Amino acid sequence: MKLPRYLLALAAVALSASALAAVQPEAGIGLPRDVSLNGHLSDWLTNVTHVFNIILFTIMCVWMGIACFKHGRAHEAEYDLGDDKRSIKIALMLSAVIFVVVDGNLFVNAIHDLSTAYWNFDEVNANPGTVRIEINAHQWAWDGRYAGKDGKFNTEDDVVVWNDFKVPVDTPVYFQLASTDVIHSLYLPNFRAKMDAVPGQVNHLWVQAKEQGEFEIGCAQHCGTHHYKMKGLLTVLSKEDYARWLAEASVNGQRAFDTSDAAAHWGWDWKQY
Amino acid sequence: MGDVVRYRPPRPREETTAAMGMVLFLGSWAMLFAALFLAYGFARMRLTSWPPAGVAALPWKLPLGNTLVLGLSSWSYQRAVREVQMARAARAWPWVAVAMALGITFVGLQVVLWRSVGRSMEPGAAGAYSSVFYGLTWLHAAHAAVGILGLGYVLARAVAGAYSGARHLSLRLWGMYWHFVGAVWALMFVTIFVL
Amino acid sequence: MDTSTVARSPHVHDEPTSFMRKWLFSTDHKVIAKQFLWTGLVFLALGGTLAMMIRWQWAFPGEKVPVLGMFLERAGGMITPATYQSIFTMHGLIMIFWAITPILIGCFGNYTIPLQIGAQDMAFPVLNMMSFWTFIISALLIVASFFVQLGTAAAGWTTYAPLSTNVGTPGLGQTLVVAAIFVTGVATIMGGINYVTTVIRLRAPGMTWMRMPLSVWGLWLTAILNVLFVPVLGSAGLLLLLDRAFGTQFFIAGAAGVKGGGDPILFQHLFWIFGHPEVYILILPAWGMISDIIPMFSRKPAYWYAGTVWAMVAVTVLSAVVYGHHMFLTGMNPLLGKGFMTFTLIISVPAEVLFLNWLHTMWKGSNRFPTPMLFAVGTVFVFGLGGLTGLYLGTIATDIYLHDTMWVVGHFHLTMAAAAFLGSFAGLYYWFPKMFGRQYNETLGKVHFWGSVTFITLVFVGQLIVGFSGQQRRLYDPYQYTYLQHLLTANRLTSYAAFLLALFQVPFVVNFLRSVFAGAPAAQNPWEATTIEWTHAASPPPHYNYNPIPTIVRGPHELANPEVKKLTGRDWAGQAEELPAGAVPAAAKGA
Repeated sequence: MKLPRYLLALAAVALSASALAAVQPEAGIGLPRDVSLNGHLSDWLTNVTHVFNIILFTIMCVWMGIACFKHGRAHEAEYDLGDDKRSIKIALMLSAVIFVVVDGNLFVNAIHDLSTAYWNFDEVNANPGTVRIEINAHQWAWDGRYAGKDGKFNTEDDVVVWNDFKVPVDTPVYFQLASTDVIHSLYLPNFRAKMDAVPGQVNHLWVQAKEQGEFEIGCAQHCGTHHYKMKGLLTVLSKEDYARWLAEASVNGQRAFDTSDAAAHWGWDWKQY
Repeated sequence: MGDVVRYRPPRPREETTAAMGMVLFLGSWAMLFAALFLAYGFARMRLTSWPPAGVAALPWKLPLGNTLVLGLSSWSYQRAVREVQMARAARAWPWVAVAMALGITFVGLQVVLWRSVGRSMEPGAAGAYSSVFYGLTWLHAAHAAVGILGLGYVLARAVAGAYSGARHLSLRLWGMYWHFVGAVWALMFVTIFVL
Repeated sequence: MDTSTVARSPHVHDEPTSFMRKWLFSTDHKVIAKQFLWTGLVFLALGGTLAMMIRWQWAFPGEKVPVLGMFLERAGGMITPATYQSIFTMHGLIMIFWAITPILIGCFGNYTIPLQIGAQDMAFPVLNMMSFWTFIISALLIVASFFVQLGTAAAGWTTYAPLSTNVGTPGLGQTLVVAAIFVTGVATIMGGINYVTTVIRLRAPGMTWMRMPLSVWGLWLTAILNVLFVPVLGSAGLLLLLDRAFGTQFFIAGAAGVKGGGDPILFQHLFWIFGHPEVYILILPAWGMISDIIPMFSRKPAYWYAGTVWAMVAVTVLSAVVYGHHMFLTGMNPLLGKGFMTFTLIISVPAEVLFLNWLHTMWKGSNRFPTPMLFAVGTVFVFGLGGLTGLYLGTIATDIYLHDTMWVVGHFHLTMAAAAFLGSFAGLYYWFPKMFGRQYNETLGKVHFWGSVTFITLVFVGQLIVGFSGQQRRLYDPYQYTYLQHLLTANRLTSYAAFLLALFQVPFVVNFLRSVFAGAPAAQNPWEATTIEWTHAASPPPHYNYNPIPTIVRGPHELANPEVKKLTGRDWAGQAEELPAGAVPAAAKGA
């Protein structure tokens, strides 16, 4: 069914309007909205760990509870040193089972999640559509830099932003992080992503948004008096909107470029890992 | 010659306990210096060039001399211990005095080293490179200074005739400390000035 | 081994007579223990007050602080962002170094080790005295830092560089605090040398390693960790002081770095090589103490004594190789990270063994619940909860989201703080009759317990909840973030729980002060306990503890043995209690 043009136009306006709507507050206690491609991996693992922990904690409470109530002062204590071979075997086997089932599950899944998603930069590097952003964290704001058309950082056509990042949906976004003063930590709660920005080194992080909207950036490492206010905004736009914004911002950047302003040229050659 | 056999009396319980305490104490200091060496290793691994570009390399002749000074000092101290163990306690104190004098010489030569390097390199002037040099040598010299005071105490006791073959605990314990100071310096010399 | 007829070991000093030598500059481990206890309790109150200020700020952001507002006159009674940094920094530092350490290790280590192994004093009594006074010097430095113009330390208790260097936190306050940490480290090492040597050298005849009370094991392993790893903190502190005062650049990088500068991550390595063993330092004494207290009140031997010993040893050994889990997000080599994750998961196994043993000890026991047992069981409960919350943090994939959120804070408060706190009270109520020769009030003790354990659980579970919802640590005003605004209610409720927790410490203060000075006289062994400080020393013990030194003939938990019942009519036999030969095996099985 073909929609009339005006309806399509209306829909486009409505969609872009909702994309420009302010950051949505969270509904209630618990994990914030996950709008990322890979956040579900960490959430799944967290939930599985919850299940294991609830089981173990309940067993502990029940065991302790029964001992407290049924084996009280009136109960005659059993002389059991627990150091006979059978008891030791049971104790060790029980520990081994818990270790393999719980810790083993965590280990295997974590290795998988890191290697295929969170710390896997191969695909991100190879993907021609990857958006690369350099972030210079400092007290108490996030400076960002896009390479612009020439693909090189620290050149005339760079787009430099302050606390306000725009990225396209369904596209890998690859951050490199540096700091000039103290350690900060880029934190994207709605993407389950976090990485420190350390003076003297360049760290990296990648995310991919599945939804459009505005999401908060926080600082997750104590960095001084205004650590609590070091928040930024990540706006996820449609690919078309993003391309339009980037082109316009690049032109503006070129116009504002000042060769003599050394402090503004804080960018670096994209680090190859 | 009568004293062919070195006199090794059975040690009283308290002496072994005291020696154990000293060993733990030195173990603690060893961990401190191990951490400092770790810091040095880290700093060095991070930078592509060591020394960093435009910074003169550290001299090695004076530190080498200083290593010999401390080595001689430890050897001299051990002569003192041997004299006591060979029931010639009266002849021990000159060796302790020599060890102490050499220790003072060491610290003096360190000062000379700092002043000669200081003209071209302040503590903060070359980032990690100068920091490692000054930081580690200052801390070591502070320990050497404590050791010198300890040797002074031992010297006083030796002169007063307090040591005998059977009882020379403080001589032993301060010896352990002093050799430790020398050993740490030797390691420092090799890693900071040679490698 | 010494014969047991020696009246006084050569290193133990005569009983002092002057006030100075008896109470101020005493070399008697029992007096020094109490000196640490009183000082520690004062700082516990100070650290707790700082915590209440944090909770106030989160419950009523920007509002005048009642009562304590008088210390914030310059800001009109309100907590400013700058002051807030100092509050959470000093809360952490004071609680760890000037409250829990002196109480758990300074007091209980000093008090129980010689008494439980059958010694007349520590191996180095003068060193012991010096360790207390060195600690006092560090306490003075800490207090002095509050009066500095630019304020006291403000870089978090973890003191990460470059924030803790002149670049991030200029001023004398931070420098004084780093110096204070160094000095208290020296005091701790002095104590550690004493404890390690004393346990090795001064055990009574018959007190083999596997007959030692588990409290001694816990304290001894703690002392080993102290001797080995506090110097590493010392090195971090020294290098930081050099950076702050002498212009070096060990940890300064970025714009302020010269010729490449230093490495901020180096500080984290040095700090956490100490820092992770430190959390075990703070819990091992508590583990050891409750491993003795639970058997006494279950009237059953500790289940698989050797397993508990080996578990504590394993934790001690492994503690040094897991430290990187505090640094997963610093940009470290992924392989290194995975290695640390592996060891971190492995270290949970010995902890599981400890739990199994505690639960098994209580199971089929004859459990009675005076205040020490309540606190011991409470410690098990709280530590169980806290330990499980650590699993998410040791696993890198789930740690990415939770790192540096309040989940971490909830986790370490449950395990380190709450368990050490509750464990300390278990020990304090347990040994109170022995230490002070008086009885404490049992009702007030129970009130103290129920209030503490309830509100501890609520406060720190509250922290877990907001951390899980994404709230970062160390935020002056979390509600600046839209995604955290809905947490005001949760934070406020948690704060109410915290205020109630503080309120429920009043019964303890009243009970403690009243009982210390005016409590009814205590019997020698009111708990019918089996270890020799109860069976062979009066309440309180005389200056020389034992005269003659008892000979040990069995393990520390001879309880519920039917043979013993036949011979003595009691359900217990003391460690040094001679029973007719051949009737009962002289040694506990597995000794």
